[in-house]
Amino acid sequence: MSEHLSSLQLNALVDGELAREQLAIVQEHLTECAACTSEALAQSLLKAATKKAGLRFTPTDALEVRLAAVVRREAGADRRTAREDGGRAWISFVGVAAALLLVVGIGGMALWGRHQAGVNLALANRAALETEAIDQHIATLAANTEPQVISTDRHTVKPWFQGKLPFSFNLPENLPADTKLEGADLTYIHGQPAALLIYSIGKHRVSVFVMQRAVETAVPVKLSDHTGFHVIGFITRDLNAIAVSDVDPGRLAGLVGMIFQAQSGVDLPTK
Amino acid sequence: MTPLPWKRMAPTGPQTPAFEDLAIPLVPSLYNLAFWLSRNAADAEDLVQESFLKALRGFASFEPGSNFKAWIFRILRNTYLTSVTGLARTRTVALEDEMSEGGDAGYPEAAIDRQTPEMNLLVLSDRAAIEAAMEKLAAPLLEVILLCDVEEMKYKEIATILEIPIGTVMSRIARGRAALRELLTAEPTQKGVRG
Repeated sequence: MSEHLSSLQLNALVDGELAREQLAIVQEHLTECAACTSEALAQSLLKAATKKAGLRFTPTDALEVRLAAVVRREAGADRRTAREDGGRAWISFVGVAAALLLVVGIGGMALWGRHQAGVNLALANRAALETEAIDQHIATLAANTEPQVISTDRHTVKPWFQGKLPFSFNLPENLPADTKLEGADLTYIHGQPAALLIYSIGKHRVSVFVMQRAVETAVPVKLSDHTGFHVIGFITRDLNAIAVSDVDPGRLAGLVGMIFQAQSGVDLPTK
Repeated sequence: MTPLPWKRMAPTGPQTPAFEDLAIPLVPSLYNLAFWLSRNAADAEDLVQESFLKALRGFASFEPGSNFKAWIFRILRNTYLTSVTGLARTRTVALEDEMSEGGDAGYPEAAIDRQTPEMNLLVLSDRAAIEAAMEKLAAPLLEVILLCDVEEMKYKEIATILEIPIGTVMSRIARGRAALRELLTAEPTQKGVRG
């Protein structure tokens, strides 16, 4: 080889991309061409320098913790989905049984059974939603990370979700005593994007998940307890919300009532 | 239809590693690339988190034993491209990239300014100057340099991630390095312009 090496050959050389026979040709050329040897060295030095300079940005520990929480949360959702699938299969079986009863002639009973199966399915989904909300609430507390948007101002928090969610919602202007908006996160719950509004009531943290209303979970949530946490929610024409906290149930209901009122303009029904 | 490279490789066995075990060690690399592409910490974190979620949800389609790193980097890069920042940046550079690339013809030799290694040694010891020069690279050139030099990926892997032919990878690497050398020798005293 009498001509100089091309830039492609030089780069392939320093990147270790030359095939054996190509490498032999290039090495032979380098033994007799000082200019190309110098050039190969220069490319090699540049590669080493860009490698060093390119390793420039390091993630925070908080990001890694958050990502690990995301993985755990999603894995939990998958497990719940599997359980729900099992539940659906069982409900289908009940449906078949009801159909047999229909053949026997108990038509009214069968209709009731189908309706009940639908209600059971919705309740099962709602229970799964509650469990997922509690899981996320606990994961957020455990991670002790700052919200993606940190603000006590509803005019900052609400616009932050623009373009991030396929729906919008209102935040109450006035809050109960000793209650403060801390910020918000974009999250996924029950397989759909949701706004996670973070409030504090005294020293208790409250997670309020607001998402689009879905048929399968559209069962009004009454105040309930799960492993020491209180859960309460509401539905409007378009939205579905669920709040989790260990604060006094009455105070949690007060906050949820105000969020409901901000959406619908009326008080949260007590029944 | 030709299967994607990470699907062509045979699974190594019945044991399926957990997503977390494969993905968490790659967070520093993913974040580093995300930051270089998006140019700010908040966007980089969002990009990594969104890519993580997409990868996690699509993990069932990933074949154990194949190239997980290339798979998740491709997800991150595609997520970036569909982001507001990514769309704006790729629109800006796409025309320039297509015009000067001319298919896979390679880099014009005349444009390579051959310098002595001694001169490079002086310039290359200035990390701030290198960072500043890298910041000035167009996104298509920067990403191949990062994947090749920082992540030490093979041309084939880079081609898979960027969804371009290997010839284009080679040409972009040549152009990227030539551009870096030009920036470093033209303005050797401009240290840390934006760093």
